[in-house]
Amino acid sequence: MLDFESQPFVEIARRLEMRGGHGWIAVLSPPSSRALALDELQTELRSILQVPTRVVPLDTFTFEGLREALQQPNDDAVVLSAGAELTPEKWSRLDIMRSALERIGPVIFWLAPNDVANLTGSAPNIRSLIGASIFIAGPDGGIMTEEERRERLKELVQYFGLSNEEIVRRAESKELPPEPEFVEWLVLLGRGDLV
Amino acid sequence: MQSFNPTAPARGVIEAGLVCEDLHRFLFRHLAARADLEPGSQQLLVGGVGSGKTTELLLGERWLREQGHALPLYIDISAETDLSSLNSGSLLASFGVHLGWSVLNDPALRPLVNEKTEKLKETYSKVTEYAYGKQVKRRVDPLENLGVVYGALQSHFVTEELPGKLKPVLARDIREIRQPLEEFLSVAREVNRDVVVIFDGLDRLLDPTKFLSVANQDLRLFRELKVSILATAPLSALFGAEVGQSISDHFDRVHHLSVIAADPRNGSLRSVLEKRRGSELLSEQDADSICHYSGGVLRDLISLARDAAEEAYVSDRDSITAADVEKVVHQLGTGYLRGLGPEAIKTLLNLESSKSFQVDQAANVELLLTRRVLEYSSTDFRVHPALLSVIPRTEPKRA
Repeated sequence: MLDFESQPFVEIARRLEMRGGHGWIAVLSPPSSRALALDELQTELRSILQVPTRVVPLDTFTFEGLREALQQPNDDAVVLSAGAELTPEKWSRLDIMRSALERIGPVIFWLAPNDVANLTGSAPNIRSLIGASIFIAGPDGGIMTEEERRERLKELVQYFGLSNEEIVRRAESKELPPEPEFVEWLVLLGRGDLV
Repeated sequence: MQSFNPTAPARGVIEAGLVCEDLHRFLFRHLAARADLEPGSQQLLVGGVGSGKTTELLLGERWLREQGHALPLYIDISAETDLSSLNSGSLLASFGVHLGWSVLNDPALRPLVNEKTEKLKETYSKVTEYAYGKQVKRRVDPLENLGVVYGALQSHFVTEELPGKLKPVLARDIREIRQPLEEFLSVAREVNRDVVVIFDGLDRLLDPTKFLSVANQDLRLFRELKVSILATAPLSALFGAEVGQSISDHFDRVHHLSVIAADPRNGSLRSVLEKRRGSELLSEQDADSICHYSGGVLRDLISLARDAAEEAYVSDRDSITAADVEKVVHQLGTGYLRGLGPEAIKTLLNLESSKSFQVDQAANVELLLTRRVLEYSSTDFRVHPALLSVIPRTEPKRA
């Protein structure tokens, strides 16, 4: 079956950085570890774009609510997360309000692979702004197996001589330098919120 | 590369001088001139997604402003209210808010406004109440609350929200708004400025029946008020059998913004790339290839050029290669292909081989609305070239 290009999150974030504003992109989430992958996507966006990142769920939305969420503020990065509840009818409603979604900061649609059919068939106005920018969360995008994750954490503990708990404590008290290894460490611990 | 941003706001792109104004043979001037010359005229701009409707409307707005004897008001109604629950009076409400604000803030009208500031501010507040609703205090009689026996049995007041036209739904007479609108219009006309309202975003109502049902009453009042209208509508307004006819009958003129053929002889699409300094990024051959695979959909054209440049950049190359173009065309085509069933694919392949396309069938109108089929004229339909490049040619297996 024909498929979209696979891209690691870091490349997706670089593409948005290059666009310099008003960027729209769709990322097809992996079938498993969806929450972990979303956390990691947010971390890469924060780290590369240097702006706050928010996830706005699309399972229940109203025009007023969505407009407010996307316009106040309108310059951070927003990940619009679609779930199984987003039926073709809801995609059509979302499509009608496309203008209310337009903003300076990037808009990232976080979709399940089968959402693309609904996007193209029921939301042509949104699809038009996304254009060819539909990517599969790539293997280098951090979709690690549990064993790989544990192995990497062990490497970090050994290299820096710090425990996982100490890293979290330092991040919570804002004592952790913003080095890429520490960002990665926190994400692997499921604490991307501290980045 | 940032000049190739298909999601940049059209107003900024125009101001940056990145738009080819003659792309549609200066259609915006025809639209604007008629609106200016015939107060109360109603024109419709019909076009597919990404065909450049907003750009034409904004160019028209700028042209009218430059002429100096009209007060053009551009309103993207889909950014102001939920079109899926739009009701009669919404267009008038939005117009009233924009008109009132313009009259109160336009420097040319200031001397007139100064004479009656208080009155006009009061009128403006009536219009905003009509649009957004208001809070009212209502006296509650003790008998209404017999279930609650605490406290003294005396009447009291409660505050209630009365919704407005932009926060639907409330069936109020659209005539309520007539008098405030006339008041603002008379101020503009005292300095010989007729009002032209440009409604963008109505094309999102893909079902033309819905379009007509909400617009009908409002449009009638606009005509009576001698306010000219330019509005967008979806392609289904042109091709959807019966409703299409009633829409054509209703408007003084329906303009079709068709897709621009990627014909190297007229070079229109190449000029769009050139205007954005595309030759600095693309070879002649790659530029032609991008024009071809865009199918003439302007947003796809800009998007493909930007994405090809992005591919080169993330691969740490200085220039775009044919492989970059091929990759982004594949991405675009795959997006169009997703969700198509065997019947739709058969229709597309049939269109490609026989050039035959029955535009009166609902499933085929759907293919037009989703841009899988492009309309170059009312009789010339073709499969989007990026989609065509990825359609599997073997007979799809049936489930």
